[in-house]
Order: sequence, then structure tokens, then C-alpha cells
Amino acid sequence: MHSRFPNRFLPYLLLLPSVVVVIIFLIVPTIQSLYLSFFRVSPFGDRLIFVGWYNFSKLFKSSDYIDSLVITLVFAVFVVLIGLTLGMLLSVLLNQKLKGLQVYRTLFIWTYAISPAVAGTIWALMFSPSSGPITFLLKAIFGANVNWMMDGKVALVAVIIAASWKMLGYNIIFFLSGLQTIPQELMEASAIDGASSLRRFFKITVPLLSPTTFFLLIMNTLYAFFQVFGLIDIMTKGGPGDATQVLVYKLYRDGFINLDTGFASAQSIVLFIFVAILTVVQFRFAEQKVFYG
Amino acid sequence: MKKLLVLVLLCLSVFAFGKTTINFWHAMSGSRLGAVDAIIEGFNAENPGIEVIAQFTGSYAETLTKAIASYRAGDQPHIVQVYEVGLQTMLDSNAIKPVFELSGPDFDWGDVIGPILDYYTVGDQLYSMPFNSSSAILYYNKDIFRAAGLDPNKPPSTFDELYEMGRIIVESGAAQGGISFGWPAWVFEQTHSVHGQFYANNENGRVGKATEVYFNDAFGVKVLAEWIKWAQAKVFMYGGREYDANQAFLTKQVAMLIQSTSSVSSIESKADFEMGTTFLPVMPGYPKGNSVIGGATLWVMKGHTDEEYEAIWKFFQYLMKTEVTAEWHKSTGYFPATNSAVKKLMDEGWFAENPNHLTAFLQILSGTRIPEAQGVRLGNFVAIRDIVDGAIENAIQYTGSDYEGEAKRILDDAAEKTNTTLEEYTLIYGK
Repeated sequence: MHSRFPNRFLPYLLLLPSVVVVIIFLIVPTIQSLYLSFFRVSPFGDRLIFVGWYNFSKLFKSSDYIDSLVITLVFAVFVVLIGLTLGMLLSVLLNQKLKGLQVYRTLFIWTYAISPAVAGTIWALMFSPSSGPITFLLKAIFGANVNWMMDGKVALVAVIIAASWKMLGYNIIFFLSGLQTIPQELMEASAIDGASSLRRFFKITVPLLSPTTFFLLIMNTLYAFFQVFGLIDIMTKGGPGDATQVLVYKLYRDGFINLDTGFASAQSIVLFIFVAILTVVQFRFAEQKVFYG
Repeated sequence: MKKLLVLVLLCLSVFAFGKTTINFWHAMSGSRLGAVDAIIEGFNAENPGIEVIAQFTGSYAETLTKAIASYRAGDQPHIVQVYEVGLQTMLDSNAIKPVFELSGPDFDWGDVIGPILDYYTVGDQLYSMPFNSSSAILYYNKDIFRAAGLDPNKPPSTFDELYEMGRIIVESGAAQGGISFGWPAWVFEQTHSVHGQFYANNENGRVGKATEVYFNDAFGVKVLAEWIKWAQAKVFMYGGREYDANQAFLTKQVAMLIQSTSSVSSIESKADFEMGTTFLPVMPGYPKGNSVIGGATLWVMKGHTDEEYEAIWKFFQYLMKTEVTAEWHKSTGYFPATNSAVKKLMDEGWFAENPNHLTAFLQILSGTRIPEAQGVRLGNFVAIRDIVDGAIENAIQYTGSDYEGEAKRILDDAAEKTNTTLEEYTLIYGK
């Protein structure tokens, strides 16, 4: 079904603003990044020295970068896993006929609406070694003195929890709408046939939710790689001892704090390629498991 | 028609006799913001033809980034506050107008406090305007000392005393930890200069660009090994890379704090315990050096009119006025910039009533003015501070017993990364 526009040029004109914005804010900086990644740039940008592949080879030889890569992978795997499983479970629970359902749903969904800075501040306060409730509870229950400013592993756990929590709202919204496309008759029929709720969950709900799950897998991966910058900046600034320095944060550090534009550009190119490959792989393999009923 | 012409001319004349606007970007947050605004108001009131507009542009790093971006867009401010680690970057930037060009060669800088001048002078000329200079001192909680059975008027003077007192405090339960640091990498530099040790070659980068650091030599290793020992005995509690350690001190989790004197006013006003301050602890057996200047200075950017530069110079002279710099010191804790201001504060009895404000000052004036204590100048200093902070963070997570071996390993690693960074800097700017 085609629509006819009254004017031949109108469609292009209407698209123009979006295209211009994409070109100015996405395409041009990407090309600039690609260009600058082959140079060593002075902080004020007045001197450019061509260094060829030096920035890239330095990346892969740098133990800091490899560490950052490992941390990012660990971080992403946990955030995606927690986000998807907890999200799915909570959505199923939120899909029942309960009193005050709207209230419960809002309470879970609002996490997506707040800014990363606010989320980061909330969790930084929760884990604060001198005055945080979680620190206090852990001490009271387990007698453990947990100080995320001194222990890299604790810091990583803290940011993983914060990042997954933030994305829960988003996951729940999509899972809920996915759940609502599952025909009630299917569930009722299987209940009549004697299937337990666990069975119904794994044999009906999960497969029928798989398009949503696949979509959320991609979105959560992108989130874990690219969109956690604000959270990390507020909570740990990549520390302690670079324990939470994910790739996107290291990029920011090198580009904007250390003013090493060439090196940061090389990192952004590598990160882009890496996530692109990851997405292609996900489409290749995960999509095969998706049941598009 | 005539009326319109008159109106237009009137409007245009407003521009002709309009004020000279000076844009001043700074990173002074919290209570310091109020102090900056007070200075600006005072200046603007005295100089009706000039309007200085101060804008808080984030942290030091953010302010520098913004300044660079604005310079590249041709939209730079007149004055920008850059932290001391940005010294080499600003000098090499080709984007600044040195202060000595504004003041003229005959200006007598003699009233400015010696060590401050020393830090920002290059080849006998002053490139940026001293504004907020500080140094590190040892803060301590007298109440906790009493509770632990220690004499509140005898704070530790040496590393060993600090360790002993810290252990007594922790074991008695008077506090959770003995000591914490703000700006750990800076404290590491301070320790070198207090003991008269060079941090990098070419006299800390002052006679030529530094290409190699010395902090992984015997002295640096000894210092870090000590800190590891303190951390393992739970005497040292890590407090983040900037001001977060103040929280631990204020909430009485630690008994002592090494922090910039610029926090004196705010810590004193918030502390609900009796607080004392003293000089940084030393290790005997090393030459006498000095604590080193930290903080920031004001840099003037290129690309403005002569009229504006005259206005800026008027503003700088205002900053050096005795009453102004004395008031600045009182509301923040940063050093008053001139000797006249110090005398005024003394005459008023200010130091007698506020002894903690005097400590950093006495410390720096009683130290020596040798090259090792003049302050470190490195290219990519921001990245290097990062590397050293990371090294310290790694060190205090060590659970073994070979302190010196581990410290050497960690510092060698940090030195290698630092030397690479320095090399890359000379690649761009030449030696």
C-alpha cells in the first residue's frame, strides 16, 4: 500500500531535518574520529602529527586497555543476564490480576525514567562506606566491612547492580507488552490439560516472548556498552584502581581528561567495530532461536 | 524619520560607551563560589566601566576541556582558571597571553608570597596569575586522640609516630581508621618535595621538559611501602581521588586527614569535634624540603582586544589588594597571595583566633626554597596523576607481606606508563 504525497519534493523536505541532524551529530563526528585516530593531537588541537597505526597498536599492547575490555565484557554479561531474567520474572508477576497493580508497575518502571546521574547518586549513597544503608545492613547481618572505594570487586558489583536496576524499567515495559500478546486461551488450555505454572512458563511464555527477549538482548547489550557512562562517572569514575573502567569510560578519560584526542578516537572506532560485530553475531545465532509465531 | 535616526544613534551610542565585559570561567564550587562572587561584585562596583562575569564551569578538568573547545570555536573566555597540573599544557598551548605581558616588565612582584611565585614562574617570568594556592597539611581529631589516650596537643611528626598513633587509635576503638588522604597522587608528590627529593628529571621538568620520572626510586618505594603497611594495619583508609576523604574525617571514621588547606574553612565549620592541624609527617634522614603549591591560577586567553587586556590587568591588580586577598583567605583557607595580606591578618588577630588557617602557611614559609620543592611540571600531568592514583589504589589492596617488593613492582609499572606519556608529549611539542 503506497501513499501519494501531493508534492514530489515534500517527502524529502520532511525528512531533511532528521537527516541533517544525523549527518551533523553522528556522521561527521564519526568520520572526524576515524581521521583523528591516525594522528597524535595536541590538547588544544593546534598540532596534528600523523602516526599511522600507532594509536591502534598501542591500544592492543596496552594492559590497561585489555583490562578495560575484560571488565566491560564481565559487566555487560551480568547486566544483560540480570536485566533479562529479572525483567522477565518481574513482568510475569506484574501481569497478574492484583489489587494495586498499577502502583506496583509504576514502582518498577520509574527506574527507566530517571537520569543516569540520579541513578548513580542513589546507588553511591546506598553503598557509601561511611553512611550507606547497604553498608550498614551488610555489617549488621554478615559483620562484613564492605568498602567499595577500597575493593575493586565490590565496586564492580555495585555498578552492575545499579546499571541493571536502571534498565529494569525498560525491560519490564517491553516484556509486559510482549506478555499481553500471548493469547489467554493458550494459557487456559494448558492449565486445563494439567500443566504446572512452571511448565507453562517455560513451554509457552518463554518461546512466545522470544522476539521481545531477542530485541531486549540487543538493547541491553548496547546499553551496557555505550550508555552506562553517566552512571560510572557519578559512582566510581572508573575506580578504584581502574576496577570499573569500562571501555566507554576509558575513552572519555583519555579524550576529555587527558586530552589525548587521537588515542580516544582510536578507542571509539574499535569500540564501534566491536559492538557492530557483537550485534551481527547476535543476529546470526540468537535470532535462530526466536519463535516468530 | 528624524526621531527614528536619533533613536538609532542613541542605541548605538550605548554600545560605544558600553562596559568592557570580561568573561571569567572558574571551577570554585560550594562555599568557594560565594567567595568568588563577592570578589567579582566588589571589583565591578569599584570599576563601573568594566563588568567581570564569573561563571562556574564545573570541575577543573571540565573547565579546561570547555576552555579548549571554546578556543577552537573562536569563542574563548578572557580568563580561565586552570589547575596546577595544567601548567605545561597551558604553556605549550599557544593560546594564552602571559601575565608578564599584561603587567609590563617593571612590575614589582615582590609582595607575592615566594613559593607561589616560584611555582608559576618560567624563566623568571610569570605566565599566569596566582589566585587560589594551597598546600597539604595534616588535620586531626583531638577528641578521638583523647579517647584513645593520646595527647591531643602532640600530633604525629614522623611516619613512625603516625603509624603508632594510628594503631593505638584503631585498637582502642576510638575510630575505625587512623588516617585518610585527599588527592593521593598529590600527597605522593608532596612527600617527595617535603623530603627534598626530585619527582622527575630535568629538575622536575623546570629546566627542560621532563622525560623520565624518579618516583620509582628508593625514596618513592619506601613511601609507598609505608602506606601499604598502614593500609594493612587498617591505619590507612582510602578516601577516593579528590575531596571524598573529608567525609570520612567529618563522620569521625578516621582520626587524621591529609588534605589541602583549602578545605580548612569548610571542615572547621562542619566539624562537631575539636580539630587541630599540623605539618605533614616526615621520615627522618632526608634533606629538608618544602610542601608544594597546589590549587590553580588564572590564565588569560589570546584573541581579545587591548582594551579588554587592560581591564583584565585591572582585575588582577584588584585580586592582589590586601583586603581582597585577606578576605579570600578567610572564607576559603587558600593562601593569601601577598605578604601585606599576611601582615594585615596577623595584625587583626585573625591567626590568633583561627590557628588552623595559619598551619599551611607556617609550613610553607618554614620550608626551604630548593629546586626539589619548587613543584613538578610535567606534560600530560593529568594523565600522570591518574596513573599514580591508580598505582596507589592497587598498592593498598595488597595483602602480602613483601611491602617494598610490591611497592617497587607497582611503581616501576607506573613509571613505565608515565615515561611513555612524557615521550608522547615531547613527540608533539618537541623537547
